Amino acid sequence: MKRRLIAMMVSCLVSFPLMAAQSDDPLNSPMWDYMRNIFIGEDAFVFDDKVVVDVPVFAEDPTQAPITVDASAYSGQIQKIIAWADLNPIQHIFTYFPHPDVIPRISLRIKVQQGTAVRAAVQTRDGVWHVGGQYLDAAGGGCTTPSMGNANPYWESHLGEMQTRLFERGETGRYKLKVIHPMDTGLADGIPEFYIQQVVLRNEAGEDLARLELSQPVSENPVISFDVRNAGQKHIIWMRDNGGNEFKQTL
Amino acid sequence: MMNIFNTRNLISITLALFTSVAVAAPLSYDLKPQKIAEDTWLLEGKLEDFTLHNGGNIVNTAFIVTDEGVIVIDTGPSFRYGREMRQAIEQITDKPVKHVFITHSHPDHYLGNQAFKDATIWALPETGRQIAENGNAFAENMYRLVGDWMRSTESTMPNKVMNLKPLSLGKHTLTFMALTGHTGSDLVILDHATGVMFASDMVFYQRALTTPHTPGLKIWLKEIQQLRATEHKLLVPGHGPMVNDGRAFDQMEAYLTWLDNTLTEAADAGLSMTEVIELPVPDQFKGIALTQREFVRTVAHLYPKYEEAAFN
Repeated sequence: MKRRLIAMMVSCLVSFPLMAAQSDDPLNSPMWDYMRNIFIGEDAFVFDDKVVVDVPVFAEDPTQAPITVDASAYSGQIQKIIAWADLNPIQHIFTYFPHPDVIPRISLRIKVQQGTAVRAAVQTRDGVWHVGGQYLDAAGGGCTTPSMGNANPYWESHLGEMQTRLFERGETGRYKLKVIHPMDTGLADGIPEFYIQQVVLRNEAGEDLARLELSQPVSENPVISFDVRNAGQKHIIWMRDNGGNEFKQTL
Repeated sequence: MMNIFNTRNLISITLALFTSVAVAAPLSYDLKPQKIAEDTWLLEGKLEDFTLHNGGNIVNTAFIVTDEGVIVIDTGPSFRYGREMRQAIEQITDKPVKHVFITHSHPDHYLGNQAFKDATIWALPETGRQIAENGNAFAENMYRLVGDWMRSTESTMPNKVMNLKPLSLGKHTLTFMALTGHTGSDLVILDHATGVMFASDMVFYQRALTTPHTPGLKIWLKEIQQLRATEHKLLVPGHGPMVNDGRAFDQMEAYLTWLDNTLTEAADAGLSMTEVIELPVPDQFKGIALTQREFVRTVAHLYPKYEEAAFN
């Protein structure tokens, strides 16, 4: 009895400091548990370096910080990818549903309010979430700064105009597109939220190859690139914003 | 067991506390004017980025002591720097500061203006406009980056708009070039008495150039050629050591050309910004301070324009 008590005391002494010092989050973010709860819930998850989140060390422009999420290690096995920034006032960046025919790699630019962990959680067909992430340093203010468009009425007459190009990349192809849209977060004084919520890349047969749900942190005049396997095919890009405006272009 | 609180340890602990306080107390740029030509003094900044340690002293400023008064070229990153610069000038001459030239709107070059309010502070009209528009944000950012060194610093406007007419003071005649490569409004000053060219941030040497407000690398390149063709004996860059030959221009041309080609090719290959940031910087530029860091910043500043061009 006495020995067991001592063992308990020792284990308390040893394990308490360990628990206090170490979070299982490799990025040591104060918001990890909260974010996990929101986006993953009670599902099984692992931290996984094969889910690559690529960001610069610091965001030179906190309204246009580039990120790339590359889950190609799980090509063909993915249900969805959720990306978020822990310390943004609106954390969710996008949810991406890649068809097995696309390479699950996507690049775009985001607004960041301060230095934050940027995450991508990839749910594979077995239901497990594979979580990758990277810390992005920033001076901040990206989410509460009025969009440039707010000071310049150019966008009003060009809303939804797209520029697109297919780049041959060996066996595969990359679509890069830019669309004119203010992507207002609703967090800048007196400017209501106005942003593209859905982006879909379809093939000629009308099948969704890449379905993307965007949130407010995606940067103004979004530049997005998708990698596709079958670059020879004709594709259609379709978008809708929270004002109900639809934009469509054949690639 | 050894008692760590024995007398000897206590003394060294006390001493350690005392010395660290003594080191932390007085902030000083410790400016040391270096005579680079007749009547001409340079305050050379460090080849660093802004830090809490260097207080923003990463910039070259200069002054010319004439019989009729002193000419100052740029006032540094803070009110404190401006005051210390004035003290440094007073160590050398009792002549009053008559003219101050602000070469461009970046905060490390003009936030010392408060210390020179009694002089004529000249700047190009566009520089004044940029300071009026961005000055407070620049100053705020400097407080964030270098901290207490900035105490009491406020963005202070130049008080006279430049007309580009030659200016004579004592036996020194200055002529001016209004260029655009670095910020859209860049003043280069030539002293005909000494042959010194104060190139401002049109020229960086041994310190990677910065691009947040450049109208374009090709424009900058063209103006470097213009500067190279302008007769002078000694070149004082905005950042980095002075040179008396074409080395600084060679380096600027090589780096600007590499940047322009790299960004063009990257955009044509469809690279995303994160991929461009990871491109290797050639060995020939590795000796230039902060190249990798400034390359990442440059991609953020300029790549969207190159991407835009690649759509068409």
